[in-house]
Amino acid sequence: MSQLPSTVPLVRALSGDGDRGYELLILSGPVVIGVIALLGRSMVTTALAMGYILAFVLYLVWIGVTS
Amino acid sequence: MTSRLRTVVSDLGRMLQALSGMMLLSVVIPIVWEEYYVIPGILLSGGLSLGVGLLFTRVGERAELGKLHGMMIAALGWFLVALFGSVPFLSVAWTVQLAPSWVVPATVDTATLAAFRNPINSVFESMSGFTGTGLTMTAHENKLPHTLQWWRSFTEWIGGVGVIVLTTAILSRPGSGSLTLYESEARSKKIHPSVVSTVRTIWWIFLLFTFLSISLLWLAGMPIWDAINHAMTGLSTGGFSVTDNSIATYQSPVIEFALIPVMILGSIAFPIHYLMLRGDLHNVYRDLQTRWVFIYFTVGSVGLIGLLQQYGTYDSLFQSVRFGLFQFVSAASCTGFQTAGIGETWSPLSQLTVAFGMFVGASAGSTVGGIKLIRLLTIGKGMAHRISDVFYPSSAIRRFEIDGRILSDIELTREFEEAGIITLLWLVFLAVGIISLLLLIPPAEGFTLANVVFEVASAQGNVGLSTGITSATMPVLAKILLIFNMWIGRLEIIPVLVLLRAALVRGDRP
Repeated sequence: MSQLPSTVPLVRALSGDGDRGYELLILSGPVVIGVIALLGRSMVTTALAMGYILAFVLYLVWIGVTS
Repeated sequence: MTSRLRTVVSDLGRMLQALSGMMLLSVVIPIVWEEYYVIPGILLSGGLSLGVGLLFTRVGERAELGKLHGMMIAALGWFLVALFGSVPFLSVAWTVQLAPSWVVPATVDTATLAAFRNPINSVFESMSGFTGTGLTMTAHENKLPHTLQWWRSFTEWIGGVGVIVLTTAILSRPGSGSLTLYESEARSKKIHPSVVSTVRTIWWIFLLFTFLSISLLWLAGMPIWDAINHAMTGLSTGGFSVTDNSIATYQSPVIEFALIPVMILGSIAFPIHYLMLRGDLHNVYRDLQTRWVFIYFTVGSVGLIGLLQQYGTYDSLFQSVRFGLFQFVSAASCTGFQTAGIGETWSPLSQLTVAFGMFVGASAGSTVGGIKLIRLLTIGKGMAHRISDVFYPSSAIRRFEIDGRILSDIELTREFEEAGIITLLWLVFLAVGIISLLLLIPPAEGFTLANVVFEVASAQGNVGLSTGITSATMPVLAKILLIFNMWIGRLEIIPVLVLLRAALVRGDRP
């Protein structure tokens, strides 16, 4: 999975910093928003949006702790 | 055409090509919303920018840039981008007017859209968007086609980071030219040694924060279309809205509180975001500007809440906190989202407190306008240093420290001079704008001096809060004046003065 973002030229051109976590968040952002736009407000989409923000916060904390 | 002028023209061509890319990308929106009548206008706008851009790059030539040309490109480029960026407004408004009734739904032909048939209104909207100001010619934003709602938000989103940053990321320039241009767009600190890497990093940070902001606003209760647009305009501290009454439309404290961190994110410099995302929180805290953003926002909000309470503007402390906190952060971050009737119900002192927030702005290197906190701090600390100098013997060796840097006397003088000049120019143009607007708006409109000060400070600080002066019905000269104020405010004045001098003084022409 960690190889996936680096093979996408757009993401590589955008970041170029080689941080797989943020690249994955950037890639999954449009997917999350697209799913919300298609399915509307429901338990699933609410959980998806919360999960997206939570994933960012947890990754940020993890980077802060390990660096 | 001289070779230097050809260099300027070549870079302007690259900027217009990048703009055309934005326009052509926006064709997705009318397809999604089934606003097919808009597509020819958007394609025409993109084609026009692309055509002129290609012509410019063909006529021009790429060469090393000096400071003079960097500034000229920045000033001219922003003006041209605003000019060409107005074509979607103009073309869509005229399409709706001229197209047969079976092509365009009758509900689309509103007075709000009709205002854009006037080119000056379209240019105003475009300049307001790209400079991240948010003052608008639109009476009812919710009556606009979704494509124009998107285009307004998109111009602010791009303008927040910078047209040159966009161009450099897409069409990087050889040699040191990219750095000269980067610095001409009111940016100084780099994240990486390479400018191209720096602007690409700025873009992925901005993109990531946009997705997070959309998710947050949607969770707070906004419909997804509104969340997308407000996340873009909130993060870029632009302030355009897709609703008729800005954020006040929702009457939701949850949405208002959710927007506060979005606006604060836009107020912090990109290099600091990068440090934060890398987990370097120690250096985030050590950054003088970032520390002061939080101090300034806290002190200003508390002061404004106190004034609202003292004048009995609202019935409860919660309401004062809700509106005072939101409006101060909105003003100081130069966003311009509005939840309160500032011009109608707030005391003149409360209005001036908000105007002060707009005047100062937040961090240099972020998406905000104003004179920037670092300049105010440099002037304050520099003055204290100079005054206290008198109390020391002439042989004393003193050191001046700001933002973790120890400055020599020469460096101090240079930084103090730069901060002083920009602040002075800012005040001079503010005063000229106030006097001019006072002369231009009809007295029968009943606007006070506080209203006029607020409006001009809002335009020049690229904020967008309004006391009601800005509208499609205001005099044409007043519109031109505010367009000028927005333009010089975004570029921190000097590049525009350099351009004007080069245009007017024969010996300085490139």
